[in-house]
Amino acid sequence: MRTDFVAREVATGLRRNVTMTAAMVLTTAISLLMVGTGLLAVKTIDATESIYSDRLEIRVALTQDVSTADAECTQPICAGLRSTLENSPLVAGVTYENQQEAYQRFQELFAGQSVAELARPQSLPATLRVKLVDQDGSTEAGAAAVKQAMANQVGVRTVIDQRDVVAKLFDFLGGVRNVTFALALVQAVAALLLISNTVQVSAYTRRTEVGVMRLVGATRWYTQLPFLVEAVITGVVGAVLAGAGLLVGKIAFIDSLLAGIAQNGVIPPVTLADVLTVSVYLVPIGAVIAGITGYVTLRLYVKV
Amino acid sequence: MIRLERVTKMYKTSTRPALDRVSVEVDKGEFVFLIGPSGSGKSTFLRLLLREDVPTRGKIWVTDLDVAKLPRRKVPRLRQRIGVVFQDFRLLTNKTVGENVAFALEVIGKSPSTVRKVVPEVLELVGLEGKVDRMPHELSGGEQQRVAIARAFVNRPLVLLADEPTGNLDPDTSQDIMLLLERINRTGTTVVMATHDHSIVDSMRRRVVELDMGQVVRDEAHAVYGVGR
Repeated sequence: MRTDFVAREVATGLRRNVTMTAAMVLTTAISLLMVGTGLLAVKTIDATESIYSDRLEIRVALTQDVSTADAECTQPICAGLRSTLENSPLVAGVTYENQQEAYQRFQELFAGQSVAELARPQSLPATLRVKLVDQDGSTEAGAAAVKQAMANQVGVRTVIDQRDVVAKLFDFLGGVRNVTFALALVQAVAALLLISNTVQVSAYTRRTEVGVMRLVGATRWYTQLPFLVEAVITGVVGAVLAGAGLLVGKIAFIDSLLAGIAQNGVIPPVTLADVLTVSVYLVPIGAVIAGITGYVTLRLYVKV
Repeated sequence: MIRLERVTKMYKTSTRPALDRVSVEVDKGEFVFLIGPSGSGKSTFLRLLLREDVPTRGKIWVTDLDVAKLPRRKVPRLRQRIGVVFQDFRLLTNKTVGENVAFALEVIGKSPSTVRKVVPEVLELVGLEGKVDRMPHELSGGEQQRVAIARAFVNRPLVLLADEPTGNLDPDTSQDIMLLLERINRTGTTVVMATHDHSIVDSMRRRVVELDMGQVVRDEAHAVYGVGR
């Protein structure tokens, strides 16, 4: 194998089709950028879900009379409910938040707003805050058991499942991820067609060379290799550009967009390590996709 | 060296066979003219020898290779034993004379030292020493054909196929090219040349295989193009 010869042929090919090569690199870069964005979205959504699954709890709000009368949850109704919950194998722990504690939290949440001044401790219910046991990544069974056990019990006003609120957010994030992947897929198809087209054009512009190579007895592998290397190089360059795009996107947009909520721990931050990891994955993805497309094109459409 | 046994080639687009039960044997070191009108099957004959196509029926041998049955991965081995020259030269216009000839060696993986040694030798053989760095467009037609012959011969093939090599050249230049092919033939290389050129065939007095409508109508040693043609 004459690597110097193959390298020279590849350089000639890339130079000759410079506009096609640029189009191929850019399309590959954009589709891989979308794939990368999708991967980062998946990573962020997964991390967010795990943050919330640790925090989410079921809140059993008690009726006004029980809330007012029992500040320590020692009287029969509240203690009974508490022990029912604690005896369930699906419950990890129960804490009692009395009216005074609920009031303090309310003041923290709505600090500076008029609603904070209007609220009184007596108007807020005491709650039993139930943490659930995670079974195979889900707290579904625990939530159902708690809701069933607390339904129509004396002293229970309502049962609030925080997961219901967050489920909508996760649905939205999942939608974003799916849309990103769908766009990436469409873009990837465009990139594949463009790579295929460029390989064909490249082979056509060098048909005399290819013809001579075949006639003098160059092997099929030797004849195809320059075209394949060209495709792989554009795939890799596209992937590197996509990685750079992700980095720029992180610094220019994501960081400022998520600054507040990431600091408050609402969602996990997109770290430099995340971006670099995804970028590293994109390089072999770009190379393999471009290489396979080039190979299939040469087999199907080009007599080399 | 070359043997065709009752070779028939049908193309899908034609009802008449391009070659019809052709049997020809060419010995090592022979010089054979393949003549006949356009469409008589000369090009098909050469294409089959090169395994550009496979015969519909019949057997073809080039050296010890059964050409029709040759698996695709072994086709390069066949083609490395055959040099080919065309009417339109088929030089690479973006490469110099030396690079054009070197290309034929590089693509079959010959080492740079071999290329450096062999290319000047073959350019000297074809009379192009000193023109190694010229571009093809700077050369005359005859010189361009010499480059093509050098490229075909640089790997010292056992057989040289020439498809109308003088078709684009004036009579004097054609004569020079024929002298060159004769010189190559004298090194022991078998030469099969398809041509329409009466004067060349008549002056050389070599074996003539004449095709007409895909059939061999004449196979004669020391022959001329043909009376009244």
